[in-house]
Amino acid sequence: MVKAKINGITVNVPEGTTILEAAEKVQIKIPTLCKHPDLPPTASCGICIVKLVGSNKMLRACCTPIEENMDIITHDPEIVEVRRTVIELILSKHPNECLTCGRNGNCELQKLAEEFGIRTSAFQQFLPDIPPDTSTGTIVLEPRKCISCGRCVTVCQQNQNVWALCFMDRGFGTRISPAGDGVSLSESPCVKCGQCSAHCPTGAIFENDDTAKVWKALQDKDTYCAVQIAPAVRVAIGEAFGYKPGANLTKKIYAALRRMGFNAVFDTNFGADVTIVEEASEFVQRFTETPEKLPLITSCCPSWVDFMEKFHPDMKENFSSCKSPHAIVGVLAKTFFAKKRRIDPANMFVLSVMPCTSKKYEITRSDEMYSSGYQDVDVSITTRELARMIKQAGININDISEEEPDHVLGEYSGAATIFGVTGGVMEAALRTAYDYITGGKLKNVEFENVRGIEGVKEGAIPVNGFTVKVAVAHGLSNVEYVLNKVKEAKRAGKELPYHFIEVMACPGGCIGGGGQPYGITDEIRKKRGEGLYDEDHNCKLRYSHENPFVKKLYEEFLDKPLSEQSHHLLHTTYVKRPEYQK
Amino acid sequence: MEKKVILIKDTGFKSDTTRDIQSLFLKAIRDIGAEESIQIVRAADLGIYNQGVVVKILPDNTVYTHINSDNIDQIVKAVHKGEVLENLLLKDRVEQTRIVLRNCGVIDPENIEEYFSKGGYTSIAKCLFDLTPAKVIKEMKKSGLRGRGGAGFPTWMKWSFAANSFGDEKYVICNADEGDPGAYMDRSVLEGDPHSVIEGMTIAGYAIGAKHGYFYIRAEYPLAIERVENALKQAYERGLLGKNILGSDFSFDLEIRLGAGAFVCGEETALIASIEGKRGTPNPRPPYPTDSGLWKKPSIINNVETLANISAIFQKGGDWFSSIGTEKSKGTKVFAVTGKVKNSGLVEIAMGTSIKDIVYNIGGGVLNEKQLVAVQTGGPSGGVIPKKHLDTPVSYEHLQELGSIMGSGGMIVMDEDDCMVDISKFYLKFCVDESCGKCAPCRIGGYQMLSILNKISEGEGELEDMDKLHRISQAMQKASLCALGQTAPNPVISTLRYFEDEYKQHIIDKKCRAGKCSKLIQYTINPDKCKRCRLCVTNCPVSAITGDREHGYTIDQEKCIRCGRCFEVCKFEAIARV
Amino acid sequence: MKKMTRDDLEKCAQNTCQSTQYIKVGMSTCGIAAGAQDVFDIFAKEVKTRDINVNVCKTGCIGMCHAEPVVEVAVEGLPAVMYGGVTKEVALRILEEHVCGKRFVNDHIFDLPVRR
Ligand SMILES: Cc1cc2nc3c(=O)[nH]c(=O)nc-3n(C[C@H](O)[C@H](O)[C@H](O)COP(=O)(O)O)c2cc1C
Ligand code: SF4
Ligand code: SF4
Ligand code: SF4
Ligand code: SF4
Repeated sequence: MVKAKINGITVNVPEGTTILEAAEKVQIKIPTLCKHPDLPPTASCGICIVKLVGSNKMLRACCTPIEENMDIITHDPEIVEVRRTVIELILSKHPNECLTCGRNGNCELQKLAEEFGIRTSAFQQFLPDIPPDTSTGTIVLEPRKCISCGRCVTVCQQNQNVWALCFMDRGFGTRISPAGDGVSLSESPCVKCGQCSAHCPTGAIFENDDTAKVWKALQDKDTYCAVQIAPAVRVAIGEAFGYKPGANLTKKIYAALRRMGFNAVFDTNFGADVTIVEEASEFVQRFTETPEKLPLITSCCPSWVDFMEKFHPDMKENFSSCKSPHAIVGVLAKTFFAKKRRIDPANMFVLSVMPCTSKKYEITRSDEMYSSGYQDVDVSITTRELARMIKQAGININDISEEEPDHVLGEYSGAATIFGVTGGVMEAALRTAYDYITGGKLKNVEFENVRGIEGVKEGAIPVNGFTVKVAVAHGLSNVEYVLNKVKEAKRAGKELPYHFIEVMACPGGCIGGGGQPYGITDEIRKKRGEGLYDEDHNCKLRYSHENPFVKKLYEEFLDKPLSEQSHHLLHTTYVKRPEYQK
Repeated sequence: MEKKVILIKDTGFKSDTTRDIQSLFLKAIRDIGAEESIQIVRAADLGIYNQGVVVKILPDNTVYTHINSDNIDQIVKAVHKGEVLENLLLKDRVEQTRIVLRNCGVIDPENIEEYFSKGGYTSIAKCLFDLTPAKVIKEMKKSGLRGRGGAGFPTWMKWSFAANSFGDEKYVICNADEGDPGAYMDRSVLEGDPHSVIEGMTIAGYAIGAKHGYFYIRAEYPLAIERVENALKQAYERGLLGKNILGSDFSFDLEIRLGAGAFVCGEETALIASIEGKRGTPNPRPPYPTDSGLWKKPSIINNVETLANISAIFQKGGDWFSSIGTEKSKGTKVFAVTGKVKNSGLVEIAMGTSIKDIVYNIGGGVLNEKQLVAVQTGGPSGGVIPKKHLDTPVSYEHLQELGSIMGSGGMIVMDEDDCMVDISKFYLKFCVDESCGKCAPCRIGGYQMLSILNKISEGEGELEDMDKLHRISQAMQKASLCALGQTAPNPVISTLRYFEDEYKQHIIDKKCRAGKCSKLIQYTINPDKCKRCRLCVTNCPVSAITGDREHGYTIDQEKCIRCGRCFEVCKFEAIARV
Repeated sequence: MKKMTRDDLEKCAQNTCQSTQYIKVGMSTCGIAAGAQDVFDIFAKEVKTRDINVNVCKTGCIGMCHAEPVVEVAVEGLPAVMYGGVTKEVALRILEEHVCGKRFVNDHIFDLPVRR
């Protein structure tokens, strides 16, 4: 432990604690624009400077560990003056476009400018003239608004191991850019995870806004509009309306969506139950019939799929061919549901509300995404976009009364809802697979081993005298460790280290998705995750295959898991893709 | 018998009488019939200035100054007899002291034998066989050597941090990324005496427990790279590098890494990133490289000049070294003296020598007998020292007190034709161009300051711009991540401190005293002095001068680009700069 | 090549391996930029064709950049001196007057006061 003083207040913190963190412990907030709790410090904005009594240099609080007996001053007129000048300097290279900016209202730069009461621009404005990059259709890069904090680069390179973003040029001309000369983001290795947009303090990286398309569909009287919400959306969207992270707003959202004019309100969780039934069946099949195709690797995260197709195409065969839940709801809406209700699928519009930017890419990623004969999911929007739409629609989410989803694509089990958190897919699939293989029920359905925010989690479950070994990785930089172990074992002809692997591109899984409300931290991830686990815990249904509507779906429409019909509608294929499309 | 040679030179500024004096000497020598044993030769430069006629007698090295026709017979006789004339002797001669450059220009850098002949590699032998690493560091402490790369950090302390730091591997890095405009002493050392740096690095490696070292040399120094490569090869062949050096237990390997030419890569954390193959941008310290440096292992980074001192220290002892210099700044410093000075070049002086001595007694004074206005030290991180402080002794502390720094050793002499706003602009532009762009204060602050200076030099300045310059300077100094940004405003601050009036002249009177700021000057032709020679007309690159012999010539101010050609070529001083 | 020992080094330090008659050309970047290579070549060639017993060698920068190319000349019977601004013509004069004629060349001696 280290003992030191901050503004005269004594602090006792573990060795290695930075001045910034130590100050928080004694309720002192040191402003910063580049330090993000998720990321190592880039030390680039220069705003968190503090004074060390007895030295005339200033220290960066974000990256300086506090030392024994340090005497730190975090706020005095001189420090504030320096901070103000730095903020004004940053503003002198930043457009004054708050009113039309994607981050208006929750921009960290805007907030700081407001706190410092900056009213006039002291310095001449020099704006770079760089056009936005909209090439991916999922996330938009607007380098003009970039303040070069470096968070996105760190997240994309270190946490996601994709290296799609980098700084180009230097000095005053430094700009954020897809990595590679003259390469657009869609031509770069970017996997569309949106983690950059979730960490950007300003409006320089944001989701491609598709809400206009949704409003247009809703206005058209001849269009039958259906909507589905993903598991992770329900425990995060509240943050945009003042709720605590983890507050579960599922039924209020259903109500709001109906008021907005949707004809049918579904739940992606239903699709998750179907995914589990298919995927568990796939696992059982491989486990018992084709062990050479093990380990089975989950495929419900499109960024992970994209990453695999670019960086590990040799693992193609190990991927579950099952589509992700929202795609399943999409195709079932335009086939099963449309048939039942006698709606012409040509006139149907299916929206999915996702915590994810990558789903925008997934809905057109391959021919199989059109297996209903139409585009299965027409538009995918993020949690952030839905929150804005609810506000635009003038709906008071706090007071709105709860409503139920529409049959037949609405009911779900607790196993489905934990899809939204890392380890959840694994847990849900194991519950069903165990039942399939042993014909019996697990004593304890909650797998503590695969829960939590550690980057790689491993577990072993005895099944009929055999041990099923599993691994869960989230945050793409953690994938390498797991895959290397598999590849090494295969090369050496040794026993497989894992039989079943779950990967989610975003740290924490979908609850930490790139399209979720801003301000993500591990604390918030935990809360959102707890929200989902609570819902599962309190669910009567804990097994996907026991969802009565899922059963009905197979009875009436699909026959049985992995049937020809389900293969046609619910499964997809993978191809090797070049890292650079140029 | 060795002949005596009398070198003569008139060191006065006004006229050169060397030839006349030479004839008088010739006559005097003939008079005593000593033509065979005494030669008299006109020298080009004796390194002595403004002392009248000076003679130097070789091989005795006796120097007599202020000679006139009355002394000549006397001198010749004394030389002939081998006597010394005390009354004419030059006293208090300002001399260079060469430790770093001791072998430069003396030995053949491509021949290791010549380095041996100067006691080369005996220091590492002494360290390996007579001293423990702790004793090596103790000797370094005794010497008082401080880093010559800019910051002046005590070298022994850096070494002992690294020595006490835990690591299975440690590294020694020689910083030869020399990027300051006008500085080239590190290049000269590497080209002229590469083995001394290799020996210094090996001693450093032994002291901290490193087995591996890197030369980080900027790629623009091909000859230095070639000579270091050659020297490494020779040292390896003779067992002075590699496994079990000189048969001891100590092994040490050295490799060269080339710098891509960004100035900021000379900053130690950026340099490490660059060696590791990453984008060469500075990183926050702590952790300091001595704890976690290259590949996260304890590393020391020392400057070329620092390292070149090491073997000399162990040849002659730490006490000897600390006997040279001032109380807190020991040893010597090499300066690259340039600008409006007669003898531009490398000068190595003992710390404590005054700037005036460097400029006037070693540098030979200001070119064309113009007035000295200031001396700039420390390059883009330094500041100007105005004429009134020229007596200041050179040391880390004294220069810092004046708002400049020792820096890596650039020294630029400025005269009345140098404009202080222009000088600030020059240095600041260098830093703006070289900023890595990582941190906001430096990236944007530097650019804003430069644009304000540009405004001022174009006559568009306002008084409040001076406040803005101060404000941005403060933010850059306090909030920039690395020393590049922290020190980039120094040239501006120091010119503002000593030459505020000159800034005001630009802002209020819209005038540039030195005639450097082209937007603030005009060239006009004085018809009374003009002899209608047309020289200016033919020399103007944009044909801005029109007229004819009958009516005289005028300069079209719209067309004139203020290049000053006409002003220079006119033989009749008919063109005025206002 | 044989690895050296401490004794070897100490023996080498006693040797003055430079011959007593030499022409040493400053050949660092600054010298070469000022034409030192040509000067070196001239000396090397002339010494060979005239069969003069003097060693032509290179060295680093002595620091007198304003006087480059710089050449140090030592011949028996005369103290060593430094010449600056050595062009091809001056080089030839040095050979004829100084090396062969044992008389220093006027107006090119640069004598720096240096303590080593
Ligand atoms: C922008 C910048 C450029 C630098 N360039 C050099 C350089 O070219 N050579 C050098 O030795 N030190 C340079 N330094 C200083 C080094 O960071 C470091 O302090 C030095 O190499 C330490 O060696 P010393 O202790 O022997 O002086 C630079 C520092 C900064 C901030
Ligand atoms: S990024 Fe922030 S400060 Fe910039 S325009 Fe957008 S809201 Fe305003
Ligand atoms: S979306 Fe993900 S992969 Fe693409 S640039 Fe952003 S962080 Fe990198
Ligand atoms: S795009 Fe955003 S996160 Fe990336 S460097 Fe710029 S401001 Fe930071
Ligand atoms: S001070 Fe300048 S050079 Fe140094 S890290 Fe910051 S931007 Fe880069």
